[in-house]
Amino acid sequence: MKKVVIEHGGQRLVGAVGKVGTTTWFSFGGEVWTREEQGRTARGNKGSGALDPTKVQAPMPGKIVKVMVSSGQAVNAGEVVIVMEAMKMEYTLKSAADGKVKAIGCQPGDQVTLGSVLVELDVESEVKQ
Amino acid sequence: MATNVKSSGKTVRRIQTVAIANRGEVAVRVIHACRELGIRTVLLHSEADIGTRAYRMSDARVCIGPAPTAESYLHIERNINGALAAGADAIHPGFGFLSENAAFAKAVIDAGMLFIGPKPESILAVGDKIEAKKTVASARALSVPGYMGDDQRIETLVEEATRIGFPVIVKAAAGGGGRGMKVIHSRAEAPELIASAQREGLAAFGSATVFLEKYLDRAKHIEFQIFGDSFGEVSYLFERECSVQRRHQKIIEEALSPSLTPELRRAMGETAVRLAKSANYEGAGTVEFLLQDGEFYFLEMNTRLQVEHPVTEMVLGVDLVKAQILNAAREFQVWPQESLKAHGHSIECRVYAENPYAGGIPSTGKLLGMEWPEGPGRRFETGFEAGDEITPFYDPMIAKVIVWDETRLRAIKKMKQTLRDSLVLGVHTNIPFVISMLSHPEFVDGSMTTQFVGRHFTQENGIGLAARERSELELLFEKQALGGGVAGTGSAQPGVAPTSALQIVNSPWWNQTGSWRNV
Repeated sequence: MKKVVIEHGGQRLVGAVGKVGTTTWFSFGGEVWTREEQGRTARGNKGSGALDPTKVQAPMPGKIVKVMVSSGQAVNAGEVVIVMEAMKMEYTLKSAADGKVKAIGCQPGDQVTLGSVLVELDVESEVKQ
Repeated sequence: MATNVKSSGKTVRRIQTVAIANRGEVAVRVIHACRELGIRTVLLHSEADIGTRAYRMSDARVCIGPAPTAESYLHIERNINGALAAGADAIHPGFGFLSENAAFAKAVIDAGMLFIGPKPESILAVGDKIEAKKTVASARALSVPGYMGDDQRIETLVEEATRIGFPVIVKAAAGGGGRGMKVIHSRAEAPELIASAQREGLAAFGSATVFLEKYLDRAKHIEFQIFGDSFGEVSYLFERECSVQRRHQKIIEEALSPSLTPELRRAMGETAVRLAKSANYEGAGTVEFLLQDGEFYFLEMNTRLQVEHPVTEMVLGVDLVKAQILNAAREFQVWPQESLKAHGHSIECRVYAENPYAGGIPSTGKLLGMEWPEGPGRRFETGFEAGDEITPFYDPMIAKVIVWDETRLRAIKKMKQTLRDSLVLGVHTNIPFVISMLSHPEFVDGSMTTQFVGRHFTQENGIGLAARERSELELLFEKQALGGGVAGTGSAQPGVAPTSALQIVNSPWWNQTGSWRNV
């Protein structure tokens, strides 16, 4: 971590910057954010999972509690497809779009890592448009 | 603090070594208290906690098992054997894990050690949420309507929830900290939410038993700290308000509550003391109430030290952990009720390793850096230091930031500035959300209820820096860091930030006057 001092209107403000692999971390004014090497600012992990509606990915490392869908099943946007547990809390993962379940990449009890693809969907919306 | 031994013939029990059956910031808190009392500490830790701050600070360490809590921190036998092997004569259970487990308290005593906490019978009488409701009836306290029967079939629970009337809350009987708790709004969603609460209860506490309660929709969470000594005296150390909760996890706690009249404070405090006395309670405990429309309902009693105990310590000038240890040694007489006077105002914020911009999901990883801005009336409790790893195995809380000031408004301002001056790098934190909560008019005027977070903070919009502000700061930071940077000192020439990047310091979010930026 390197500290950075900036001046504004006679005030001395301190921030910090540091790098892990391809991720640069920034801290300023109580805020923490990251930037990936490609140069796009991402508010944490929001970008990776939310952008691709055909995949439901693990937003954190954890354990799969329940798989709520089966292969070939139709799902609606917002429908809960996976229940997982991390840091002793349960989280529900929802489908980002209407579609059909193409593949399931996990089963209850599995320990999964950040970004693991848990469910793949055939998304109809593109076709319908 | 009154530490004189009563000349009533009770023998003092010497404590030389305390084993700590816990981890993180509470283990650090207990180590501090023990060192000040001249007592040796032994940390009972899992493999995942080797090298953590508490590990480095303790006098001795015993590894009691692998990372999963069922095989280490929740494993009674391994904790007892570890403590005995290290020559401990007492065990402090901290909070969470085995701290409210009567079987553990009994096992500690049976092994010839002191349990720094209440007697096993007292834990059963008030700690188990179902038993507590029965005890509470005898202490003439009012409970929220609900169901706490032995029939735990889903169909029965759904029927009972319907009878109570939605919204209904389902809770793990052995629970705490928001785990195993769900709010059910309709019969349709009841079966799945009840099953989920049962699973969480089983995973976190080893018991799938749940109970149901009418969910009060504009209540305040007010809890009373009580303390009982080994001579049968119990005093109440006033209240903490913890209405700012998310998913039933407390985020901001304060003492005293801005909502109580002296009459109400006394009525609630006396109810808490009656409850403790009816259970022959010894040591530190907390009686939680919900307060709505001037009526207070007993929620639960926690038979342990509370995470938010520091705010009580700050306004009363007491040390609850030392009191616990001295009380276990029978070297402690509780503070007489009439001697307890609150002074000033204290606030605690829990800093969680989570991403406020992605629905609050936990954030794990290596802490590249962490610096807390020391100052008068500021206190930081953490189990981590720079270089430590935040793992997915345990609670996501990385630190508690506690402030004290003369008035509530000054304490709020101090807290906001303290959080803004904090540096955490390597994991995301909820600090931007917390700052926004502290700035909200409903928090500032003290009218917030347990609905506060859900009502105003479900969206990330309007919180923190805008994308353009961020990218300009990024450029500046990298330029500074690459050009030699300022590694921990202020000696280098400070950079001058582009004005647009610093819109933030002129925004209400940053500004001391803190008018609320609408979302």
